[in-house]
Amino acid sequence: MDFLRPASWQEALAAKAEYPTAVPIAGGTDLMVEINFDHRRPDALLDLNRITELREWETGRQTVRLGASVPYSRIMEHLRAELPGLAQAAHTVASPQIRNRGGVGGNLGTASPAGDAHPALLASGARIEAVSVRGTRMIDVDDFYLGVKRNALAPDELIRAVHLPKATGPQAFAKVGTRNAMVIAVCAFGLALHPDRRTVRTGIGSAAPTPVRARVAEDFLTAALADGGHWDSGRPPAPSVAAEFARLVAGAANPIDDVRGTAAYRRHALGVLARRTLGWTWQAYREQDRSPACA
Amino acid sequence: MRVTLTVNGRRHQADDVWEGESLLYVLRERLGLPGSKNACEQGECGSCTVRLDDVPVCSCLVAAGQAQDRDVVTVEGLADPGTGLAPVQQAFLDAGAVQCGFCTPGLLVATDDLLRHCPQPTDADIREALSGNLCRCTGYEKILDAVRLAAARSGETAGER
Amino acid sequence: MTDTTARPRTDGGVVAPAGGAVGTARTRLEGRDKVTGAARYAADVPFDGLAHGWLVLSTVARGRITSMDTAAVLGMPGVLGVVHHGNAPRLHPAGLFGPDGQLQLLQDDRVPHVGRPVALVVARTPQQARAGAAALTVTYAQEPHDTVFRAGHPAGRPAPAAPARPDADLGDVEAEIAAAPVVVDQRYTTPEEHHSAMEPHASMARWEDGRLEVVDSNQGSFMVARVLATLFGLDQEIVRVRAEHVGGGFGSKGVGPQLVLAVMAATLLRRPVRVALTRRQVFSTTGLRPATEQRLRLASDSTGRLRAIDHATAAFTSTIQEYVERNTEASNVMYAADAIRTRTTVVPLDLPTPGWMRGPGAAAGSFALESAMDELAQAVGVDPVELRLRNEPSAGPVSGLPFSSRNLAACLREGARRFGWADRDPRPGTRREGRWLLGTGVACGSYGAGALPSTAAITARADGSYTVSVGAADIGTGARTALALVAADALGVPPESVRMRIADSRLGAAWFAGGSKGTASWSWAVTAAAADLRERLASVDRVPPDGVTGRGDTTDAIGALGKQERQSYGAQFAEVAVDTGTGEVRVRRMLGMFAAGRIVNPLTARSQLVGGMTMGLSMALHEEGARDEALGALVNSDFAGYHISAHADVPDIEADWVEDVDDSNPSGIKGVGEVGIAGTAAAIANAVWHATGVRHRALPVRLDRVLESGFPAAR
Repeated sequence: MDFLRPASWQEALAAKAEYPTAVPIAGGTDLMVEINFDHRRPDALLDLNRITELREWETGRQTVRLGASVPYSRIMEHLRAELPGLAQAAHTVASPQIRNRGGVGGNLGTASPAGDAHPALLASGARIEAVSVRGTRMIDVDDFYLGVKRNALAPDELIRAVHLPKATGPQAFAKVGTRNAMVIAVCAFGLALHPDRRTVRTGIGSAAPTPVRARVAEDFLTAALADGGHWDSGRPPAPSVAAEFARLVAGAANPIDDVRGTAAYRRHALGVLARRTLGWTWQAYREQDRSPACA
Repeated sequence: MRVTLTVNGRRHQADDVWEGESLLYVLRERLGLPGSKNACEQGECGSCTVRLDDVPVCSCLVAAGQAQDRDVVTVEGLADPGTGLAPVQQAFLDAGAVQCGFCTPGLLVATDDLLRHCPQPTDADIREALSGNLCRCTGYEKILDAVRLAAARSGETAGER
Repeated sequence: MTDTTARPRTDGGVVAPAGGAVGTARTRLEGRDKVTGAARYAADVPFDGLAHGWLVLSTVARGRITSMDTAAVLGMPGVLGVVHHGNAPRLHPAGLFGPDGQLQLLQDDRVPHVGRPVALVVARTPQQARAGAAALTVTYAQEPHDTVFRAGHPAGRPAPAAPARPDADLGDVEAEIAAAPVVVDQRYTTPEEHHSAMEPHASMARWEDGRLEVVDSNQGSFMVARVLATLFGLDQEIVRVRAEHVGGGFGSKGVGPQLVLAVMAATLLRRPVRVALTRRQVFSTTGLRPATEQRLRLASDSTGRLRAIDHATAAFTSTIQEYVERNTEASNVMYAADAIRTRTTVVPLDLPTPGWMRGPGAAAGSFALESAMDELAQAVGVDPVELRLRNEPSAGPVSGLPFSSRNLAACLREGARRFGWADRDPRPGTRREGRWLLGTGVACGSYGAGALPSTAAITARADGSYTVSVGAADIGTGARTALALVAADALGVPPESVRMRIADSRLGAAWFAGGSKGTASWSWAVTAAAADLRERLASVDRVPPDGVTGRGDTTDAIGALGKQERQSYGAQFAEVAVDTGTGEVRVRRMLGMFAAGRIVNPLTARSQLVGGMTMGLSMALHEEGARDEALGALVNSDFAGYHISAHADVPDIEADWVEDVDDSNPSGIKGVGEVGIAGTAAAIANAVWHATGVRHRALPVRLDRVLESGFPAAR
């Protein structure tokens, strides 16, 4: 095994081009477990810890460019206003020790359906900045997850950053686990209200081979909110609307039975989380100034 | 490969380090510092918690090469050689928060970090800060007591100044 | 070995005068070493020329090894040898309590379950050994296996009777049930559970001048040394086993596979060998609490007075060792009834051998009995605390023997008072707080007490210090500290002048840290040694330079004890909140009141009880070993998959005790290690019923089970 220690981003890209099988390691919170358990023996490790810009973020007018290695603990502390959904999700990641090391880039690189960041990334409409010596491309999060632990990165690409639209409305993340802490999600759900576009987006974790959006549920709720004039009136959607939204979210999942819960339970719980997050976010929407964000 | 790092204020060098090796392995097997414990190898139990450049991490999940030129503090480095036990160590001892002692090193490093950032934590703060440290003996109650005791004592000391 | 001295706690705790040490809170003697990281556990002790062994575990559940490609591994960097059934030393039958098939490692080509050690790769570094183990190709002739436990399994057979407690057959159970106005007849299941002590098992073995020296992680070095000597056909005189610091055991640290394999490797390679297990190997090779299925039939009159208790239990064992999970013990002693019948079935399967896990028998047995009592209370319409008080026996309900002491009623009454039980509305499913439904529950528990033969020696020195030598083990219980207090009082000296030497097989015969009998057994021997020493000191003018030694051996005194019912008792109260949408259960508070004889060190005893209750909470809500039927393998063999309670799961837990005087043992000690977990899971499950109106007769009370039980309309 080789241990590559690029001192700069350009060196990292060159190394990845030269050794496409080298596995990037930043927080190590997934990869080191696989190595410790002898599940994986990569040809080379590509250490990204020395590349300081990966741990930085820039807040622009409409988006946050979040370095791939910004630890979850920093997201919780500093980006609560701009990225509330992701900040909430960050707070539920494992433990303080893990949150001090792990970042969104690792979740995306591993692409495990149980990664806590995914529902928030899906719900906010993130784009992934994938870079290689060949150049930079932006991958829509909708196109990023290809299968169980498979993503859209080319062998020579590294994740430089994730671009997330700054929240224009309330966002929520909720997860069900068998314990109060240190929990792999039994299932997780993210919801973002986008009052500027008068749409909603969702993200489901741990309940399908890949993280997924509940698109039919989104379309239904977006239409129901528009038809009922809810964005202007602030009135909460009718219980029947919330129930249908919950049903459609549950239907979007494709879960399995495992140690942590049955497929039927996961579907049910997702419906509950959908209804709850809708309640919380709409309450927050009513309480905030409803003047259009982009007049 | 060779890894050079500072542990508890002392410069150390380890040779022939395997590239997939963890910082925990380097500490325990190469540097003669077995205070940090290996109990799960997957970041679930916190027994291997150390401060890496002042941030508590699970040393089993840090690749040895990532610790190159960095500063590590382990349980062995908490006590001040001049004045004896660190306040958190004394509090854990006095409150009966130590039983089999295997989770203790990681808990002490995590607690020490909590009290540096939050000298008067609430119970919720404590539970949150120590949520990544499993203990099978105590039921956690005495650990909570110990952290409260350490905080109260440092509060008294601060008040006397 | 560290010599340690008892110091009073520095935070203003009471410093007792000489003679009053027992009963005062004392900080742990070895605490300083533990908080500074200086305490050395078995995997921490360095040795010159130490080699490292790595286990290779079977991947099939039943079959034979047909080949093993050792040549390829022997050529790998640093590899020194591979121990396997073709070259391993032959072993004699041996075990802690009779021959134990589990210890017959690498003796033939049979594979009795997934996770059975089939080889040990030894190398210069742990990494090289691990790489070698990963590279060792083993091929098997696989045979059909059966790993699915159920009570009616055709392989099931009646368990051999426990020596002291045969199956109960009091009165005519069927006639009482037929005639009773109220009958509860239910089945309860508990899953496979794992000890999960924080320290993974580790051992170092080396031959030095014709003597075998072992540094181990165990619960009783003397008994381990005896087994080791028998197993390898050695004179016990040349075997020395030490276990100075042990990171928890909970029953799992007897003679571990890592120890047997380390001795084999050290014998073959003639160099020190350490074998340290990984967490996953601990899950696979060091025992477990077997899954149980229990049927409880309770019959009572219309006031709740019990007419019959019929308790039948089944649990699995392996095909290589008969382990019996004795779940019916409590049904023999808890409640008076006209008729009591108990039956125990073992089902041998292609699974690892179970073993004692904290509160063996009692933890799962009390879940069934105490859940059924709650169901009876509901059926009769009487308060569950009152129901238990109404059935309080005056003597052993089956044996007729007197209780050495009991005081369960005091635990129930005092617990109910402190918990605020009197205000409880008995109706289930009526207390709501936002999305949470709230409920409270009670359950009782017991665990056998007593002392087993041990020896001790105390040496008085000219400088006024006393060295206590006893083959005790301190696996985190605080035994080292408790014994120093017992010795100080028995000698009439301050604890500061007492030094403790424990955890070394050379210190003489001593019982195990197990069965909640460690401290009681060792204390008695220490007390006897102190009496002997005082007599000897009375006959000398001054202590000679090499000291004066007194010795104690309790074998005869224990043999002469009269027959009595000896148990620790407890009553536990729990309050839970159940999320109506997701089925999540959160325990809000727990209170345990115990009658556990004399409490030597309140600081460490309280920790033991709270720790037991916490493990009970974990059992109630989280713990469940899941096996793949096709492979017969545990699928959640790590801490990400097998959940034990974390800090945030554990609420305000209070443990306290009532006055409980047991004169049958000079120390008055009954033991606090196991009774804390007896009844906890039932108290929580009963509280979940009170919150939701739905019974949970299968542990753990998982969130999906809560919801899929039909409760309530999701909101």
